[in-house]
Amino acid sequence: MSYDKCVRCGSCLQFCPMFDATGEEQFSPRGKAYLLQVMDQIEDDKELAKEFRRLLFECSLCGRCEETCSSGVDLLKVWHEQRAKAIETHPEEFAYLEPLKDALANVKNIYGLAAEDRAIYWLDELEDDIPGLADRVYEKGKTTENIIFLGCLMSFRGSQIDVLRSLFQTLEKLEIDYLVMGAEENCCGHPLYLMGNEKGAQELREHNKKVIKAAGAKRVISCCPGCLIQLREHHNLEGVETLHHTQFFDRLLDETKKHDQKEEFSYHDPCELHRILKIKTEPRSLIRKMGIEFKEMDLSCCGGGGLLRMTDPNLSDKIIQLRVAREGVKNTTVITACPSCREQLLGQDLKTKDIVELLSETLDGGAN
Amino acid sequence: MKLRDVVIGANASIYYKLNFKKIKGVYYPRVEQDVLAAIAHAQQNGLTVTPKGGGSGLSGACTGGNDERIMISTLQMKEILSVSKDQGYIDVQPGITPDKINEFLTPMGLRFFVAPSSRDVATVGGVLSTDGGGNDTWINGTMRDNTIRVKMILYDGRSLTVDSKGVKSNDLGLEENLNKKGMTIHDVANSHGTLGFITELRLLIRPTVKEALMGGLTEFPDCNVLGKALQNMIEKKIKINYGEAITEAHPDVREDLKPPLHVIEFPVELESEVREIVDFRRLDSKELARMKDVRVKLPKRNPKVGIQVALFEDYGFYDTSLIKLQDGIDTINALLIEHGMTPFAKYGHGPSKWYSGDNSPTYGLILHSREIKPEGKQSQDVYDTVLAIVDICDELKVTPKPEHKWPFSDEVKKKRLEEIRAVIGRGFNPFLLSPECNDILGSMV
Ligand SMILES: Cc1cc2nc3c(=O)[nH]c(=O)nc-3n(C[C@H](O)[C@H](O)[C@H](O)COP(=O)(O)OP(=O)(O)OC[C@H]3O[C@@H](n4cnc5c(N)ncnc54)[C@H](O)[C@@H]3O)c2cc1C
Ligand code: SF4
Ligand code: SF4
Repeated sequence: MSYDKCVRCGSCLQFCPMFDATGEEQFSPRGKAYLLQVMDQIEDDKELAKEFRRLLFECSLCGRCEETCSSGVDLLKVWHEQRAKAIETHPEEFAYLEPLKDALANVKNIYGLAAEDRAIYWLDELEDDIPGLADRVYEKGKTTENIIFLGCLMSFRGSQIDVLRSLFQTLEKLEIDYLVMGAEENCCGHPLYLMGNEKGAQELREHNKKVIKAAGAKRVISCCPGCLIQLREHHNLEGVETLHHTQFFDRLLDETKKHDQKEEFSYHDPCELHRILKIKTEPRSLIRKMGIEFKEMDLSCCGGGGLLRMTDPNLSDKIIQLRVAREGVKNTTVITACPSCREQLLGQDLKTKDIVELLSETLDGGAN
Repeated sequence: MKLRDVVIGANASIYYKLNFKKIKGVYYPRVEQDVLAAIAHAQQNGLTVTPKGGGSGLSGACTGGNDERIMISTLQMKEILSVSKDQGYIDVQPGITPDKINEFLTPMGLRFFVAPSSRDVATVGGVLSTDGGGNDTWINGTMRDNTIRVKMILYDGRSLTVDSKGVKSNDLGLEENLNKKGMTIHDVANSHGTLGFITELRLLIRPTVKEALMGGLTEFPDCNVLGKALQNMIEKKIKINYGEAITEAHPDVREDLKPPLHVIEFPVELESEVREIVDFRRLDSKELARMKDVRVKLPKRNPKVGIQVALFEDYGFYDTSLIKLQDGIDTINALLIEHGMTPFAKYGHGPSKWYSGDNSPTYGLILHSREIKPEGKQSQDVYDTVLAIVDICDELKVTPKPEHKWPFSDEVKKKRLEEIRAVIGRGFNPFLLSPECNDILGSMV
């Protein structure tokens, strides 16, 4: 077992957002690895074992512990495996996740909304701004070089509409051959993966894989790092490149016009983007090409990952609130590149922009 | 029982299988008042008190043994209270780490010069309680040399301020008694949480002097030659700002290292003096940074098969044992192998400094050690190995007498702690000084 390799040195404590927010060791990676090491002494105590299972879901799966650990403990793998085991052995304790699982099984999105509505809300909103957008939605028989995988958040949440508008406007302006998966898109499976439910996730992926293949796409582009993890690591898309939108645009544009910067920016790098997918250079390179000056925020978690918003919304809020207070970003616009981080930032009434919003403004000749 | 009572046992030593039922309360105070309340609860309920810092200590002292006890963690007492650039001090709470202090001081051109490899997690309260030091202890001293004074809360709730001259307390009788005993900061250093709870420290800080430094790497045919080189550096009092030796490393973590080797950094103008002792290869800043990183990570790395454990921290080689370093290591390794352990890595600070139980300084090489524990090895076997190491170190005059991190086998220090505890009370970490200490630790491996 990989957790046996934990030498309990404590180096990961200071980096864990859960420990930071709660101040107590049981929330820390060392604490949880230790609990696994002494499990034989405590598992007979039903209450303790139950508390431990709950603790496994009080983690944003940000991966910072694994990155810090010099002892080779695959902490993320451990957390995933333990989560799967917890749900499998004690499903009754995770009844609150059932509606999500049902929604994903029935309508293939996390909101339980009709599957065919996946391209309805944003299309209604954006069709006037972007003529011909309806033709960009994938249907059987259509093919394209680049297929856009929006993911559930961007497909259904009104708070994401500005990012979508900028994404499509930028693609149009740069005359990119693209289609959006639309109603043919299933959830990428990430939420199930975060619960350790590999089988359920695999069913969702199979359909996506077929659509991407049928569209003859050379590239799948997503703005969502969580979706991208699934597309890149788990969809097994042979011969199809999987790119974050910042990678796609950064590679495409050697240079851009300069952004008419009128506000102070800070950059929150999404954990799943830089730490798990290791996409670090392109987002920054793209921002720099636009001549934007920005302050780097701590490479820490916003509290929105690992299903934490569902499993412990108070803790999730506390994490982002601590960061906002500590990093003095209240008067800046926080640049990010993840719909889930965006939700967290908006939840604190912070001004936030996705990198593609800045790009769209820049291509338009200046900021709004 | 809650998980917070179990998880407080997490610590870097091999003593981590605690009897959790004996833990009757876990506290994470933020201010002195919280500490007082926790200690009062312990006193009223006849429980002992164990302070815990980062839990990076390797002696098992922060576990509290098997007493019915409360555990007080300092992980939430991590504030910087004040800083005086002119007078060269910083006041801090006990749970802050050297790294965090230096993160704060660096922009001011100041530094706190205590750098254990665990400086990212070890707390200053813990470092003073083990009198820790790092790769620059040779020139900057151990934690006690860098601590101006501490405030402590005793088991009965009274408080003390202790510095290098003596003790102050608002209880004048207690102050007089302790001053009669000659209690100073030396007694708090290396006391392993047996006296009281440190709530505040005033630490020495100094300007960072811009020095032109040179990095070097020397590979040695064997450790005796390395030991002689270190002894030479000590005798000639050469200012080595950074000195780290790696005497052996298992193939799984050896990479391109060729131990025994010694990595040093020293003022450029001393090059010829250093060359007279060792024929080092110059390291550019990148190579030096890499070697420093390798060294910091070595204690944490694991073999491909099995897991590493730290059976015995801090072999102190000095005088004759330093000159016969290889012979000493061979004997220790033979003992390890005889007990079924595989030597994994040995590395440490040298030249270095530490204090004996009578508070006299000793100079030599502080060698840390990691071993691979075979699957299924019984706890008692492992602990028997530790005890056998203690004995063999005694014979070899290896472990500094009295030992650096082992108050329970350090008779002079133990006697001194008992003397002070007779005045201030015995409610803190009593297991360390009890005759059963070995049995208790043995049961927790
Ligand atoms: C990877 C690694 C590398 C290391 N490298 C070094 C090194 O280079 N040099 C070195 O000297 N050591 C080293 N150590 C050992 C360890 O880091 C030190 O012993 C350190 O000083 C312990 O500090 P801590 O805060 O973790 O204390 P803990 O382990 O929590 O406690 C140590 C002792 O201090 C007592 N204590 C803690 N806080 C207080 C307080 N506020 N009041 C009273 N008593 C208190 C505890 O009761 C216990 O007896 C290393 C350890 C590891 C795991
Ligand atoms: S950094 Fe790794 S070895 Fe150290 S406590 Fe954390 S998980 Fe364990
Ligand atoms: S994944 Fe992130 S939140 Fe979870 S234990 Fe590791 S550092 Fe903490």
